[in-house]
Amino acid sequence: MTDLSRRDLLKLARDGFLYLSSALAIGGLLRFLDYDPNPKPKTEFDLGAASDFPLNSRTLLSDVPAVLLHTESGFSALSLTCTHLGCTVEEKTDGFTCPCHGSRFDKDGSVMHGPAVQHLASLRIEITNDDRLILHID
Amino acid sequence: MKKILTIASGLLLLTLAFAWWMSSRGPKPVELIPTLTGQPEYCITCHADVPDISPSHPTVTFGCVTCHGGERLALNADLAHSTMRGGANPSDLSVVEASCGGSNCHSGSEADDRNHIQRVMTSVQSTYAGAIANIRYTFGAQTDLNAHFGISAVTDDQTQTGITSLAPFDPASETNPSIQKFGEECLTCHLRAEPREGDAYARQTGCAACHSPAPPLSSGEGWGEGKIHTLTTAISYAQCNTCHNRGNYDLRSMTFVERDDHPTQRIDDYYQPIAQFTQCEYTLDCVDCHTRDEAMGDGDIHANQKSIEYVQCKTCHGTPTELPLTKTLTDPNDIAFRLAFLNPVVDLQLGDTIIVTEKGEPLWNTKVLRDGTYEMIGKATNQYFTFKPVMGSHCTQSGEDQSSSYCHECHAVERQP
Repeated sequence: MTDLSRRDLLKLARDGFLYLSSALAIGGLLRFLDYDPNPKPKTEFDLGAASDFPLNSRTLLSDVPAVLLHTESGFSALSLTCTHLGCTVEEKTDGFTCPCHGSRFDKDGSVMHGPAVQHLASLRIEITNDDRLILHID
Repeated sequence: MKKILTIASGLLLLTLAFAWWMSSRGPKPVELIPTLTGQPEYCITCHADVPDISPSHPTVTFGCVTCHGGERLALNADLAHSTMRGGANPSDLSVVEASCGGSNCHSGSEADDRNHIQRVMTSVQSTYAGAIANIRYTFGAQTDLNAHFGISAVTDDQTQTGITSLAPFDPASETNPSIQKFGEECLTCHLRAEPREGDAYARQTGCAACHSPAPPLSSGEGWGEGKIHTLTTAISYAQCNTCHNRGNYDLRSMTFVERDDHPTQRIDDYYQPIAQFTQCEYTLDCVDCHTRDEAMGDGDIHANQKSIEYVQCKTCHGTPTELPLTKTLTDPNDIAFRLAFLNPVVDLQLGDTIIVTEKGEPLWNTKVLRDGTYEMIGKATNQYFTFKPVMGSHCTQSGEDQSSSYCHECHAVERQP
């Protein structure tokens, strides 16, 4: 075992401190650059395999929020965001009702009475090559 | 030299490690992207415990900044709060348009009856026009009782009352010392004024003065600071009492004389010694009978309280010769449904018949029952009250003399001396 001279010990400590300092500085810089304080709202949702949504199914997507329909004519989706101020509408027997201000929509999303004046939005569904459903809300 | 370099590199490492540790100690930013704005805000990093202010204003939809302003991306409290509107009360009338206005919100179209801000700005609760005119007339500063001044300048280019504008009242420019003193001592009860000190007066300014009721103090000896994060249309009489029934203005000393009694029953909460009250007047809450237009204004500038307040006993009870005015709800867009939706103490249905005022305002918390009697549901208490019309009763009061003061002659309840 080689004896460590005082000079070598100081050099080792100094290099160690500098390496660790560099690592901390780079880590901090990466953490700073990686953090986006002003992110855009999510506009795409991977819903999974299309086969998970059988024909004539109606699936509530609460995290979007939307309802996904699979009919003879294919997949479609209806936004459940009220067109008045953005509250999430609730499904009722005859359509949808906004719990915030009382707007009512029929089962197709058409306005039955306000304060909303626009129908619930139809959302775009994309089917990928590997048969997955991507919902777009932009 | 090498020793110094080693010490310096050690200090550098310690400094960086300390900076890392400090940055890790702070609150982890909690992001909220309200659906209304789509813009991230970090207010709930510190304010996660603040409840939704009302079912109509869920935080997940509105966020905080839409109403309160502030720096949405800031994590430092001072910076985050630096641009808030109205401090903790964005409904203060000086900032209410920016906070609560907008065509989808509370300065919407007149046709839709959603122009709440304009109505409140011109209401007597905001202008105090009647009191100002009365005092100026009494002390010779004006020759009539017409309203010329309000707390702030307001205009109305579609006036139905003939009053197109009010100039701002400036007590300092008055020459009569009594009017000056009135300005100093007696302007604490309008919607722009900070309340007097004391639990009994605890309320906020602007919309929150009525719609954000103060919580009762835990001691049971009054009401809290009125800083509760709530908006409601279920307004108890106790909220009205933060301005009303607290005492009287002495016109000789031009000071407010606080009531010195301690009411032990509800009827004595109404503090006008010369006034009489029927049982419904002190059992119900003020908002059970008095309408939106009366309380919040109808969009016109009114000369005084009497000019806008019109609901009388006969509104609900009719007269010996006439039943109260009623309306059967046939339109799902009827405003009665909207009002009942905001305070669902009653399950209104198409086909229900309700009482309406002579101006057509719906008393949506009433119903005409099948047996010809009437029902009222307390907006703040959820209590059910049934009552009969005057018609068919023993009342022989002339149909010409049907204001409430006549009803009080027979039906007022005696108060304990």
